Amino acid sequence: MASDSGADADGPEPTADRDAESDVETDRAIADEEALRRIADRTPTRLGVGRAGPRPATDSLLAFRADHAVARDAVRSRVGDELLADLDLVALRTKVDDADQYLARPDLGRELDAASRERLLEKCDLEPAVQLVVSDGLSSTAVEANVPELLPILRDGLAERGISVGTPVFVEFGRVDVMDAIGEELGADCCVILIGERPGLGSAESLSAYLVYGPERGTATSRKSVVSNVHDGGLPPVEAGAELVDLIAETLAAEASGIDLREDDRAFRES
Amino acid sequence: MTDRSERLTSVGIDVGTTTTHTVVSRLRVETPPGGVASPEIADREIAFRGPVRETPLLDPETIDVEAVAAHVATDLEAAGVDPAAVDTGAVIVTGETARRENAEPLVHRIAADAGRFVAATAGAELEAVLAGRGSGAATRAAERGETVANVDVGGGTTNAAIFEGRSGDGRGRGGELVGETRCLDVGGRLVRFDGHGRVESISPPAWLLADALELPLEVGDEPDDELLAALAAAMADRVVDLLEGPPFDALTRELAIGELPSEPVSLDGVVFSGGVGRLVGSPPSEPFAYGDLGGPLAAALRDHERVRAWSVREPHEDLRATVVGAGTESTTLSGRTISIEPDLFPIRNVPVADAGDLAGREERALREPLESAVARLRELHDLADLDAVALAIADVGPLEYDRLGVLADALTGAVDPLPPSLPVVVVTRQNCAKALGQLLRRRTDRPLAVLDELRPRGGDYLDVGAPIAGHRSVPVVVKTLAF
Repeated sequence: MASDSGADADGPEPTADRDAESDVETDRAIADEEALRRIADRTPTRLGVGRAGPRPATDSLLAFRADHAVARDAVRSRVGDELLADLDLVALRTKVDDADQYLARPDLGRELDAASRERLLEKCDLEPAVQLVVSDGLSSTAVEANVPELLPILRDGLAERGISVGTPVFVEFGRVDVMDAIGEELGADCCVILIGERPGLGSAESLSAYLVYGPERGTATSRKSVVSNVHDGGLPPVEAGAELVDLIAETLAAEASGIDLREDDRAFRES
Repeated sequence: MTDRSERLTSVGIDVGTTTTHTVVSRLRVETPPGGVASPEIADREIAFRGPVRETPLLDPETIDVEAVAAHVATDLEAAGVDPAAVDTGAVIVTGETARRENAEPLVHRIAADAGRFVAATAGAELEAVLAGRGSGAATRAAERGETVANVDVGGGTTNAAIFEGRSGDGRGRGGELVGETRCLDVGGRLVRFDGHGRVESISPPAWLLADALELPLEVGDEPDDELLAALAAAMADRVVDLLEGPPFDALTRELAIGELPSEPVSLDGVVFSGGVGRLVGSPPSEPFAYGDLGGPLAAALRDHERVRAWSVREPHEDLRATVVGAGTESTTLSGRTISIEPDLFPIRNVPVADAGDLAGREERALREPLESAVARLRELHDLADLDAVALAIADVGPLEYDRLGVLADALTGAVDPLPPSLPVVVVTRQNCAKALGQLLRRRTDRPLAVLDELRPRGGDYLDVGAPIAGHRSVPVVVKTLAF
């Protein structure tokens, strides 16, 4: 790595001693290169990317900005109509008008607009055991990447167990709790939402599935179960679909979700 | 402690040439919250260390099975462990080739006494690996990214395992890879003395060495120190050659147990463990304190010019490295998502056939490796005697719904020749057990389980315990031999 004691460094010019010290650091970095690579290989975190003087190296700065752009795209782009048609989802939207308002007003993302509420009641089966909801949330990319693999095995698995599934819907500009409103309107026993998670700089494709038993508006988050980190580098979407089948069956049998369902989740509340 | 952790009771029993020990350990299994990460063994605490006992013998070549079983029973009672409450563990029987002959009835007997779910196993390779895990050599390799050899020098054998601490597939729990094992019929008990310094017995490997060196050694002799030092030095040479080869000299090859490697390895560190190995750092002042060649062999190793050049590290466990490894390190956990028949587990001695890498294979090319794996199982095993059979898949291809459906079709067809009541365990490296399980269940009524995030090899055997962590994982012991 090039040593940079450049003109724009703060404070006095480096002394001879400082130069010696920085040489020592460089030697150490080279001696530990293998160990550093091993550590860096185990995590997608930006470790050991080095620096050029006080600044990031050009390639790591560019990679960072590219990843940031991907994350912004995930928030800003919309799920394509083609996907909704392929998966046979009824298209709905919340009271949110655009992406800026979505970010500023989480409350509006929890409620359907009037036209969508009418459409919901007109197009969807009432009182299903399970209502499936797909929503863009903070990452349309996550929906596009994961739902086509997740939804078929989920629907097949539920059908195989004889669990009645309502008419699946897609909600644009949705927050997790929009499932409470949808579940309540339809009178579903259990509501599941597959929603794009806040993108990070490691992955913009992470999806979560939240699940609530006895949905009604204002249900506490603690009463919701979650299967998170669904993407190719985490829980593979097809496996997440099969896992959700088990979780839904467990929820319906226990008539409970969230901390009411699992002992191990309850420990959280106590600790 | 929260509800998220649970404990497994694990028993390790090591029946060596010279000594027999038992340890009982508690493995704490933790399931990270949030439902994403797999349960893991978070802590391995040794709850009981049994006394080191002389391995009881009926004659110089036959282990007294009844006496060993009685020792184990005494130790478990002293530990306050009900054999029925033992969840997992391993019985290791090692030693010279001749003594290994009654290993099979021995492990069978002990496993039956010490709990239904103790994996009975024998073999120098596995002992070498467990000793290296028990001594801390494996941890050192993983933590520092070094290549570390653990050399367990016991009464009858010297078992070396080489651990490579680097990232990549096939890593152990700590991130270390078992590079290879190298084992020799060299140990302190190859020559035994009576109370007067007279030779009481000489094992065949010691004959071989004495003949090669043209040393006059007979039972009843009172050999002088010089002769014994020469014999011990010859043994130390074999141990050094074992680690520094290839090439290996003819004597090393003759004394080797199993295969020797074809490529040399550059070592960052060497750890000595075992009854003789622990003396390398500090040989006893009275060389014949143990009535055998252990003291002289340890001294010969310490003074060997090549060993002096090695970077020798202190073990965490010396004498008990193997038994600690057997008690704490023989169990792994499957991935978090499993698909099983509720009452299928525990099952033991499940033979594994490897179908290999199926990525990119379609139609006939997909069915063929699965069918030949099933054919191997039918050919090699009497299916009527088995709890189950296992098919291992290194790579199923992309984790897509359609792909897994195609695989499920191929699997269903491939297992058709097996008896319909015989449970089949499908083991995948990728995280797809629940998805594949759901797809298989739709296609067949036979008893079935899918375990993921495991990679046994063809020819291995699996012992699989009852589900833990809220039915989300199973403890698995992979063995190289079944009894």
